[in-house]
Amino acid sequence: MVDAAFLALSVLTIGTAIAALEMRSLIYGSIALMGSLGGIAGFFLLLDSPFVAMFQIAVYVGSIAVLILFTVMLVKRELIFQKIEDPKRKFAGIGLMLVLMVGIGSIILDSGLKTIVTDEPAVDYREIGVDFVTYYWPALIAMALILAGAVTGALVLARREDVEDEQRAN
Amino acid sequence: MSVIAPKFRLGHFIKSITNDIFWIVVLITLIGIPVIFIVLFYIDLPVLDGELVTPFLAFTMLAHPELSIPLIDSFMNTDFFRIAIFPGFGFAALIAGSTIFVERKLLAKLQLRVGPFYCGKIEGILQLVGDGLKLLSKEIIIPAKADKPIFWAAPVLFVATAAAFVALIPVAPGWVVADVDVGLLAVFAVIGFFPIITVLSSWSANSKYPFIGGIRALHQMISFEIPLILSLLGVVILTGTLNLTEIVQSQTSYWWIIFLPIGAIVFFITMLAELERIPFDLPEAESEIVAGWLTEFSGMMYGLVQLGSYIKLYAFAALFVVLFLGGWNGFGVIPPTPPEIVDFGIQAGPISVDLPGIEKLTERTLNFSLINGVVWFVFKTVIVIFFILIPRGVFPRVRIDLLLHIGWYKLITLSFVNIFIALGLLYAGVLGPGGLL
Repeated sequence: MVDAAFLALSVLTIGTAIAALEMRSLIYGSIALMGSLGGIAGFFLLLDSPFVAMFQIAVYVGSIAVLILFTVMLVKRELIFQKIEDPKRKFAGIGLMLVLMVGIGSIILDSGLKTIVTDEPAVDYREIGVDFVTYYWPALIAMALILAGAVTGALVLARREDVEDEQRAN
Repeated sequence: MSVIAPKFRLGHFIKSITNDIFWIVVLITLIGIPVIFIVLFYIDLPVLDGELVTPFLAFTMLAHPELSIPLIDSFMNTDFFRIAIFPGFGFAALIAGSTIFVERKLLAKLQLRVGPFYCGKIEGILQLVGDGLKLLSKEIIIPAKADKPIFWAAPVLFVATAAAFVALIPVAPGWVVADVDVGLLAVFAVIGFFPIITVLSSWSANSKYPFIGGIRALHQMISFEIPLILSLLGVVILTGTLNLTEIVQSQTSYWWIIFLPIGAIVFFITMLAELERIPFDLPEAESEIVAGWLTEFSGMMYGLVQLGSYIKLYAFAALFVVLFLGGWNGFGVIPPTPPEIVDFGIQAGPISVDLPGIEKLTERTLNFSLINGVVWFVFKTVIVIFFILIPRGVFPRVRIDLLLHIGWYKLITLSFVNIFIALGLLYAGVLGPGGLL
């Protein structure tokens, strides 16, 4: 059962990832990207971590993919359908991908992954939360500050007084 | 009103009734009974008292209503019943449909109109059936330059997402379709799909007004999702769980709205915005942009979107009840089943009906906690739905910049205040694990 689900999820994730790269229409490409991100959420469900899976759906499918979709819709139509193709770059890309896959695969196979016991009970997300606020609190604070800084910076950069005054009636 | 049948003759009337009865009997005999029998052969029948129910036995039981009680009992405990009928889609669709009718009547009364009046003689009670038949029989028109796959899929996906939302709501003790450990997070994940479907359908219509409406919906939903999530964190902090059933069970003696009123108010306002209801109905502003993102939908596609949005309304009201109003908790209002009915069956003068198996049904399935819980849950949900409907008759529509200002400045600040109230109650030792109350 799990094997069938794993195979189906793998096909879904990889297939939609390829579709996201290769499709001409950017909208369909971003829908395929959503499928790929949702497939990763499915992997998390198979790994007994529904907490991460739900966050994957809520954040990546629900927010990031919507942002991408939104950006794509605001791009000019001519820019969407402009065709830039170069056989050299294509083969270089495929070669780079193969090198990366072989490298990462050899690292994973060497890392002692085969000796890990897999029938242990799943980690409760409450324990992860407790670890975050006790042992890893400096990392949490640093992440929070970086994210707050990024959001504030984006808001400052995006603010345009001239346009705002012009658009607002009265 | 004009007279409906000016040339009325009793003989013709009786003749038409006997004709109808004849055809009903013929059709049931030739089509209805064979269809029931074929269905009985294909579904999985339960084991009753150590004996497998064969299709013939099941048919006999169906023909004798007093014998079919064990069959009903086992049917009510199947997954199909949960998903399709009681806590799932059928129940939600029933409440959604009655909400549509009540809304039209209520708004009419608020504005000194009569509202639906002629369908079904009594106060237009059959108006919804009439509307449904009209929508079913209308032609579905697709714009010539629309993106057809997305345009066709959008209404179905909308209803499916709303049904997925309903599946997470616990209605009575143990009566929930999907009792997941991270229920509230699953709710957030499901809510995140609505803006995607909206903006995709509005883009695929390839028309001006839907696209403006879709962009407005996207702005509104994305920016109100943040205060929505933040306003519910207070409840999660105080209960220490994300499971909606456990959140309801934590409210047996007091409701969270008593301690977290700010969170409840913020959640209610964001709920109105997520549901695109007045005063936040900019995506469908009918006086500015025709019908917003619904403009190009026609026939049953529009009907599906409408059904989905009212199911979503029920689900949000039910979520409010689950999180802040104590869910199914309440004092007993339903008397227990009289013991003489369980022992001797129904006896009214000369008539007596023996009811074998009713003891098991009333103990296992239709027990006190289910009926009492459902009565309280529906009562509270209807009150919340009423409060969602009222603003439509009272408030004007707000401007988009005011809307975003409310969302990003005021509601997020208020929900942080709510979180700090919850944290204060927790650290003061008043509530939460090991608290005073």
